[in-house]
Amino acid sequence: MEFKDYYKILGIESDADLKVIKTAYRKLARKYHPDVSVEKDAENKFKDVAEAYAALKDPQKRAEYDELKKYGQQGQGFEPPPGWQSSSSAQGGDYSDFFESIFGSARRRGQQTHRDSGFGFRGQDIEIELPVFLEETLSDTKKTISYHLPHYGKDGQRLADVKKTLNVTVPKGTADGERIRLRGQGGPSMGGGQPGDLYLHIRLVPHPLFDIEGHNLIITVPIAPWEAVLGAKVEVPTLTGNIKLTLPANSQSGQRLRVKGKGLVGKTGIGDLYALLKIVVPEHADAETKQLWDTLSKKTAFNPRSVWRKA
Amino acid sequence: MTDDSLTAELTLKEVCEIADMPTEVLITIVEEGVLEPSGALPNEWSFDIYMLSIAKRAARLHRDFDIEWASIPLCLDLIEELEKLRSENKSLKQRLQRFSQE
Repeated sequence: MEFKDYYKILGIESDADLKVIKTAYRKLARKYHPDVSVEKDAENKFKDVAEAYAALKDPQKRAEYDELKKYGQQGQGFEPPPGWQSSSSAQGGDYSDFFESIFGSARRRGQQTHRDSGFGFRGQDIEIELPVFLEETLSDTKKTISYHLPHYGKDGQRLADVKKTLNVTVPKGTADGERIRLRGQGGPSMGGGQPGDLYLHIRLVPHPLFDIEGHNLIITVPIAPWEAVLGAKVEVPTLTGNIKLTLPANSQSGQRLRVKGKGLVGKTGIGDLYALLKIVVPEHADAETKQLWDTLSKKTAFNPRSVWRKA
Repeated sequence: MTDDSLTAELTLKEVCEIADMPTEVLITIVEEGVLEPSGALPNEWSFDIYMLSIAKRAARLHRDFDIEWASIPLCLDLIEELEKLRSENKSLKQRLQRFSQE
């Protein structure tokens, strides 16, 4: 396993005092805490930071870590010296193998202490993101998910993770950010406690055509200037197939036309689809077309900026 | 998977156990209107999974930032507002981009 330089993770010198350690931790926690951060890979970065802080804020743990730091350097393989046993105790937390190899794991100790009392540790809750396509939210959809569960030996030592596969049904109308709880499908318990739960965090996959606004969908529909002026019937895709949309004469760019019942399925009914009109001008015009535009401009009394004059 | 795992409702005790927080704190969070479980009295309260995720967040904020429980409802409100604005901003930017460059 790799040696972790907790000082480097917190960006501090190895002789930093407790106040410096705390300040460094709090600053990094505000940056990477998964509840507030938008940084990439914030969750893993925060885990490292929290673990470094857990090791260094406690004088006893820090002394033990400093002792071991002489044996291992970052980037090299690390094993605690034979017979190594920490006298400090790890409290809860989801720490790395490296941390647990030094300070032991709460699980291991918990099992030793509580085995006879019949008191068990609840297994770890696991949360995974489940990407769902917009089309899949229209009806109940079966999906197969795979995830890794922590696995512990008889003495509480952590073994290689176990892969688990489950078939789940994502109910129709599931919205972005919703969570589905699968009771007892999380990490295993120790000493007779309850297994943890699995939480599926639903993420709607961004659609190449449709944007979401509540239960409504929005599609940007490019139209030609003459379609806008004369009106037209335009074929427009929806989640369930194409429809013919009637553009009224004199439609404006930015105007929204409602197509009832072609939105997302919600808990309280079906949303609508809004066609957002966007007038597009041909990139190239041949001589004849230019001539036609020219005639139009000369024969039409229209000032698109007349609103400015009123102001 | 059974259907009840999807619609699972949790009691006050269950939420406190899973989120690892004192009962009084969860009661305060409800009393301050951050979470609105169904049921009139605390022992009748029924929480859904979304509420559980907010309770878990409360416990994380308390643990990781040393935020006092009394300040947690305000933090939860602000983070929720921030998330709402971020997601609105992202979606408006996306729509603007479709409209202006497509």
